[in-house]
Amino acid sequence: MNLTFNNQLLRKSQSLIALFLLCLLIALLSDKFLTTSNLWNVLRQISVNVCIAVGMTLVVLMAGIDLSVGSVLAFSGAICAGLIKFGFAFESLDLFVGFTVLGGILGAMLVGLLLGLFNGWVITRFVVPPFVATLAMLTIARGLTMLYTKGIPISNLGPGLEFIGSGWLLGIPVPVWISLIVVLVFVFISRKTAFGRYIYAIGGNEKAAFLSGININRIKLAVYGLAGMLAAIGGVLVTARLNSAQPNAGMTYELDAIAAVVIGGTSLSGGVGSVTGTVIGAAIIGVLNNGLVLLNVSPFWQQVAKGVVILLAVIIDKMNRKEA
Amino acid sequence: MKPYQYGLLFLAFLLLGYNSVYFEKLSDRQAGAEADFDYGAYADSLYYQGMLQEVAAVELATLLADIRNDADAAFKNYGNRLGIGNSAYFMVKGSGVITGITEDAIRLQAAGVGDVGINTRYIFGNALRDASGLVKLTDFKTNAEFNRVSEALNALVRTKVMPPLIDALETGDSIAVVGAVKLSKKALDDPALMITPAQIIPQ
Repeated sequence: MNLTFNNQLLRKSQSLIALFLLCLLIALLSDKFLTTSNLWNVLRQISVNVCIAVGMTLVVLMAGIDLSVGSVLAFSGAICAGLIKFGFAFESLDLFVGFTVLGGILGAMLVGLLLGLFNGWVITRFVVPPFVATLAMLTIARGLTMLYTKGIPISNLGPGLEFIGSGWLLGIPVPVWISLIVVLVFVFISRKTAFGRYIYAIGGNEKAAFLSGININRIKLAVYGLAGMLAAIGGVLVTARLNSAQPNAGMTYELDAIAAVVIGGTSLSGGVGSVTGTVIGAAIIGVLNNGLVLLNVSPFWQQVAKGVVILLAVIIDKMNRKEA
Repeated sequence: MKPYQYGLLFLAFLLLGYNSVYFEKLSDRQAGAEADFDYGAYADSLYYQGMLQEVAAVELATLLADIRNDADAAFKNYGNRLGIGNSAYFMVKGSGVITGITEDAIRLQAAGVGDVGINTRYIFGNALRDASGLVKLTDFKTNAEFNRVSEALNALVRTKVMPPLIDALETGDSIAVVGAVKLSKKALDDPALMITPAQIIPQ
């Protein structure tokens, strides 16, 4: 029994051990890795992926997928920038409606939420596979971003937003605070609320969940909505970091988010996984990216390395499940 | 939900809304904007009086030959950069025959140089501002203001100067070009030359 417990503990800690070994290896190969500024840099960089990947975790836990998060991130970021920079002018009323940084952020989150809800609505109302529905949203949101920005970055958004992306609060970068709050909220939601348990139940066995009285469509709608809103928070962070909304922001971010979820131990077939695991997965990807840059590895090889890590994570996960 | 919870929620929305939106008279705002520093006018004077009249562009062939001879000296003599680093911007000129025109760029067979690209669509970044050497970071209070100069200068070249010139060009035409290139001391072996144009002159 003790041996079984130890095996289970080892399995649960696999990602954490992998992260530790990766850090150790890179620290041995590069003396810059363990410097304070570099570690803050890594945390700052992964904070965007953490926000997106937390939403992706909820979706994957329900055995779904959301390929649109990168594009939703770009559109929401552009909306945030556009609201802050341009506001709305009503010439006939001689009225200008401006938005503060808070207004821009809330506007972006609302847009992300609405796009996510639209994904959920298409998936539940028309029984479209999530892969297809969110793939469609990927191009729709990217197109909307191009239309809204006219293909040109929206820049110079002021010191308020710049602080969100580059500022420090109590010695910790603001984006790290934001991702930390996101993680804590969603760890609580997934572990301690009925809504969280419903997500696991739907991913574990949708039919059984339905028969036990769970309103599956409503939960799916909410989860896709939340995934969109979290992508929007990621969009705000990216826009704030650059002090500019780039029309091509967030390209392939969905792949990094899915990678973080899978490496963190969440099963793509749903029902198994955790938000904390995803955070470790995102950290592994962030450390890997940072380490490969520090070691002067070509960006092309970086892509290969990332792919191999994802593949290994899935294979190990499959083997674990077979043993269990 | 209990009634007091609805009340709290309403108050929270009210508080967020109050701190999110502000209202101004449009006419007041427009008057205020006019009183602010006019980056468009600054970019106009920078381009027409500065770049076209004061900046001495180096022949691209000369620059490349000098770099091959003594890169440090060539970077020092012709290059402009804001801080330390291996890269610098150069204001160059050259002439040749157009070998291809795409939506984004012109390919030019430049005399004494070979194949060179001229960016015609994505005129962004700080290449023109920095290659000109006319604007100093210390002239502005913040990086954001400094970058707005690039934004205005790029917009002028991208939207006003280039379109009528580019529309008239065809493959096989001979042109002269003045523009900015970025070169890095670390990548001088066969650099892919892409000029951010300031001026294209049909010949």
